[in-house]
Amino acid sequence: MDLKFKNKKVSGILTILPKRVVTFEEEMVNYNFPEKKSLRLKKVMGYNTHRVAAEGQCSSDFCIAGLQYLFDNDLLDKDEIDAMLFVSQSPDYYMPPTSNLIQGHFGMKNDIICLDINQGCAGFEIGLVQAFMLLEQESVHKVVLMNADVLSPKVSIHDRNSKPLIGDAASITIIENGNNNEEILCSVNMDGTGALAINIPAGGFRTPASEETAVMHEDEAGNSRSLNNLVMQGDDVFNFVQREVPPMIDHLLERANMSVDDIDWFMFHQPNKFMLNKLADAIGVPYEKMPSNIVENFGNASGVTVPTTISYNLGERLEKESFKMCMAGFGVGLTWSSVLMKMGYLKFNKIIEF
Amino acid sequence: MDKEKFLKDLAEILEEESVQEGDVLTDFEVWDSLSILSIISYVSENYKKQLKNEEIRSQKTVGDLFSYIDNK
Repeated sequence: MDLKFKNKKVSGILTILPKRVVTFEEEMVNYNFPEKKSLRLKKVMGYNTHRVAAEGQCSSDFCIAGLQYLFDNDLLDKDEIDAMLFVSQSPDYYMPPTSNLIQGHFGMKNDIICLDINQGCAGFEIGLVQAFMLLEQESVHKVVLMNADVLSPKVSIHDRNSKPLIGDAASITIIENGNNNEEILCSVNMDGTGALAINIPAGGFRTPASEETAVMHEDEAGNSRSLNNLVMQGDDVFNFVQREVPPMIDHLLERANMSVDDIDWFMFHQPNKFMLNKLADAIGVPYEKMPSNIVENFGNASGVTVPTTISYNLGERLEKESFKMCMAGFGVGLTWSSVLMKMGYLKFNKIIEF
Repeated sequence: MDKEKFLKDLAEILEEESVQEGDVLTDFEVWDSLSILSIISYVSENYKKQLKNEEIRSQKTVGDLFSYIDNK
């Protein structure tokens, strides 16, 4: 679906990473594969270190730490926040919404919209679109978008498919009304027929977690996991991304009457280096314009990867300069979404640790 | 599909000097889920065909794999 907005801007991005660094090699001993094969996987996929939350740390803890940092440094005024969006697949509870918990923690005003959105890999783009829609309302001036996921506890240590790439993180993005007349073009697409391609089979209402769902099984490739663990059909996901994402970006650029050359940065979701390079090839984007260095440094924290890519690769530059940016997310849902907009002169764009 | 080119490219994916039609896929030293994904990616890029893991796993030899992709 094509969407279009005007007079909106991103005014700040803060990425919050766990302090704990885990290396590929220290987890490799848990995989049921010869070391040589695992090291080959590391090289091809671009795995190295990833950031993992400490035991007991939840997604909301990283959001609270980030907001506290922004309040303490006078980068955000809590009374000015009209909406709090929490995009995550790892809420604190089934009920209540985690966004309400965070609002309550800080004693924010009651005249506010708190919304939890269950989205993963495309969660940044879906969150931006939701923020833009809210800002069309006269009474909404400032939206705080929180992307946060702590999914590492859900991934089996014996799963070489997912363990080396999973990362935990959160990001806080401030979206507000702007006065530039430039259009923001967005695309949102869903295909629920592939909904279980990335999935945690047990632990919800359909299949509650039990002793049976905790039993480990080995798959045909040699990975072991239980029904309580995250499982990803790598072939289906790869095919889906290669099939759907390039035409989506082509169409987005066509709507803007632009070519790849007109775009400064392609800030995409970070599944792994292999898949990103294949995507860049298919769209015809030079690798320098599409950073793929997040999984090797921090891991893939689903919806947090795009803001992390922006914070890590542009940092303070985005406080002093402005760029034409194409952002895209794709994965769980299946959902694929993109946003094309001018981004720059942010009040802050940085990474902190918690 | 150009068989000679396919055999040359497959050898590169499997880190071998050369591969023969009669070679059994699971006998290659590097054969694992990564080789399978590399083949899926190679076929998608060069022949615009989408393969699934089990489609590749159910082929026994290099020749079987070539025929399967060629006929898909």
